[in-house]
Amino acid sequence: MNSLDRHSLEEQTRLVSRYVAGDLSRSERAEFEAWLVASPELAAEVEMERRLRRGIASAARRGWLKRGSQGPQPAVVDQRWRYAVAASVLVSLVTVGVTVVMPSHEASDSSDTRVASATSLTRLTAPRTVRLGSVRGFGASPDVIVARTDMPRELTIEPDVMVLTCEDGTIDLECTGGTTPRTPQYAEYEMDVVSRRDSALAWRSTRQLANPGTLLSFVVPDPQKLSTGDYDLLVRGHSSDHEEVVARFWLRVTEQ
Amino acid sequence: MSGSTTEQIERVVSAALGGDRQAESQMLVALRPGVLAVLRFGAFSRWVDAEDLTQETLQVVVERVRARTIDDPCKVFAFAAATARNLALNAARKMLRQQTVVDSELVDEIAQNLEMEPNDLSDSDDRHLAEAVMTLLDELPTPRDRQVLVRFYLDGADKHSLCRELGLSPKHFDRVLMRARTRLRTIVERRAPHLALFPRITSILLPIALSFTFWVRDFGSW
Repeated sequence: MNSLDRHSLEEQTRLVSRYVAGDLSRSERAEFEAWLVASPELAAEVEMERRLRRGIASAARRGWLKRGSQGPQPAVVDQRWRYAVAASVLVSLVTVGVTVVMPSHEASDSSDTRVASATSLTRLTAPRTVRLGSVRGFGASPDVIVARTDMPRELTIEPDVMVLTCEDGTIDLECTGGTTPRTPQYAEYEMDVVSRRDSALAWRSTRQLANPGTLLSFVVPDPQKLSTGDYDLLVRGHSSDHEEVVARFWLRVTEQ
Repeated sequence: MSGSTTEQIERVVSAALGGDRQAESQMLVALRPGVLAVLRFGAFSRWVDAEDLTQETLQVVVERVRARTIDDPCKVFAFAAATARNLALNAARKMLRQQTVVDSELVDEIAQNLEMEPNDLSDSDDRHLAEAVMTLLDELPTPRDRQVLVRFYLDGADKHSLCRELGLSPKHFDRVLMRARTRLRTIVERRAPHLALFPRITSILLPIALSFTFWVRDFGSW
């Protein structure tokens, strides 16, 4: 470790994003971590770097940012809100109008309404995000359990299954030149939700580009459509000439 | 970035190396955030209880300082970081063995390669963070800066190719990232202060506390 002058500290600050991305060589990492011990401010920088990465990934998952775009479009988010409010007002007005204008139809339509209510008993709650380590899925209990009475509007699965390799494809602790492995083993990943009862495919994600340092994130848009039972969450890696199931997790949908 | 904080920590460690027991206690307080950071953000963070291992690391460090086998504060920092890393690696090995991965080399390989942020955010915090990032991106002065952040963090674009493409120098690129982190910190502290690990107030309070320690040590009274 060099002397603890301000100049060196600023140099270390420039390494923050490489440290968080795991791009530092072993010796660089050792020196950086010594600085980290000596400087709470540098530690705060590292924390913010992680938050920044996670915040951007989260915004993208929510559809507020697009990959490969020229930048964010906050106005679009605002516009969506305006549309949502306008639609809510419109629906409320129509509902009130129908209730006031056509009260005589209530009795005859009641049975249909009951049927409709029965099919929509699933109570939708806030979106849920589940992170899954690659060593899970082999135990005697499910990795993820969701109840139909407390079903999230969106179920996001973030499997930590991306293996990083050296540029030549070898899996090693340290690559030539002392760098850490940072090339994803597969260029793209996708996830299937398969019912264990009849092996039927319940949902398949779009393929997702592998990005080192960022977890894969698959959003099951309508989990309430999953009936009660056990499912396999299969994560598959794709390269140009090969595909492989890289992880399997166990999802259980219960009634309550 | 406050340089004085680091310098003051160095002074405390020097005093501890000289056998000053009061400075030794201050040293432990001063090193704690950094050691915790190494354990929380380092390669094995997913496998360890960072708080527990921080205590263990500091215990090893203080024993080494008392044994007088280190004479330079910088070496104490390096030793603390290395100790934290080794303890974390051992914890990772232990945990993977408990999960019936018995091949020793494979255990090391998995522990080294599988990095993941700990799942330390609730859904609502995750949303707060996403909103803070959107505010940050909205506030950036130029579309080019926004493009830098989105393409670097979201698309995983390489720094050098981005610099070439957007006509930026590597220093400018680093400045964009550093400014973004600083601004995000301000936004996060305002909207969801619990998401900021080291609130800005720390950089004011820590030097005051350390100065107070030296005052008492040098002058013997308040």
